[in-house]
Amino acid sequence: MNSDTIRDRNMERKQLDAWLKAEQSGEDDAADAALGHLFAEVPKVQPRSVFVEQAVVTAWRWRARHRWLIAGAWTAAAVLVVGAAATAVFASPLLGRSLVKAIAFLSGHTVPWLIAYGSVALHGWLTLGHVGAVIAAALITPGRVAAVVGVELLGIAAFYALHRIASAERLGDAQV
Amino acid sequence: MAVQRSDAELARDARSGSEAAYRELVARYATPAVNFTCRLVHDRALAEDLAQEGFLRVYQRLHTYDPERKFSSWFFQVLRNVTIDYLRVNRLPTASLDALQEEGHHIAAVDRESASPEELAERGELASAIGAALSRVRPEYREVVVLRYQEGLTQPEIAEILGLPSGTVKTYLHRARKELAEILTGQGWGRVPAEPTAGKTV
Repeated sequence: MNSDTIRDRNMERKQLDAWLKAEQSGEDDAADAALGHLFAEVPKVQPRSVFVEQAVVTAWRWRARHRWLIAGAWTAAAVLVVGAAATAVFASPLLGRSLVKAIAFLSGHTVPWLIAYGSVALHGWLTLGHVGAVIAAALITPGRVAAVVGVELLGIAAFYALHRIASAERLGDAQV
Repeated sequence: MAVQRSDAELARDARSGSEAAYRELVARYATPAVNFTCRLVHDRALAEDLAQEGFLRVYQRLHTYDPERKFSSWFFQVLRNVTIDYLRVNRLPTASLDALQEEGHHIAAVDRESASPEELAERGELASAIGAALSRVRPEYREVVVLRYQEGLTQPEIAEILGLPSGTVKTYLHRARKELAEILTGQGWGRVPAEPTAGKTV
């Protein structure tokens, strides 16, 4: 072991002791500086030799893909815009005429039917309403109403009496 | 004599499409990136993958980099986000003290791999012991220690990277140093050997 090595080791020891002493006495700045000196000797984890090349190649591949993607997106957008413009210029009179014809055809065929069906339905409801009114007028007289109410009261009374009898029978069974 | 270009200049040129500028930027930050991620994930191969992902994300987001900011702070912020995203999805198992000790030895072994035998002989075991002790410190303290003592960033810069108040970073550093000191003294480091009393007059 040569004298330089011994001197380095002694230096390390001194730095370690200086740090631990500063740490014990609570001298933050001194401890910070001393540990900084010690860490200068701690070797860093080194990357492999191909690391830089690999990183550059990866980035440049991504760059090329990205540029293709952007170029593709611009091309697609341009094609869409040109196509839409061409359609508007060359095909719009034809399309417009066809659209108007279609609307006229559909409205010409469907609207009379809709009106006819609506009228029939309305008539039906009105007729039903008339029939109901006639039946009600024929049935509802004071005498008939009194008779219906009387029958209902009689039914309630009969139901009540049956209920009482049934209860009395259950009570009698229980007492036996 | 060629003047070394700043990180911000390289970032600007890389954004404009200069492969050489980007290569220079990667070469400058390859070791800090792999070292930082390796201290967090304890796996060298995974650390390299995450660092690669970090560099790609940096390249993809160069247009968001503000040249007024320090590049290293922005870089570590992006890299840390990549690492945290990975750790969130692939939760690393909670390690026991023994496992942590083993990890410490693993990191020490990794440290040894990157240095020549002569260098190791000169450094002795103290540097390896510090590296191993660092792997036993809590992760949130560990990243602060690496950024402060290995990358030489200031407390406000670390606070910016971690999105924490400067006071919290100071507290983390203080506690991390305490933990490191406890671990190292527990292993017998820093104990002054007793002076031989023979021959001394009373």
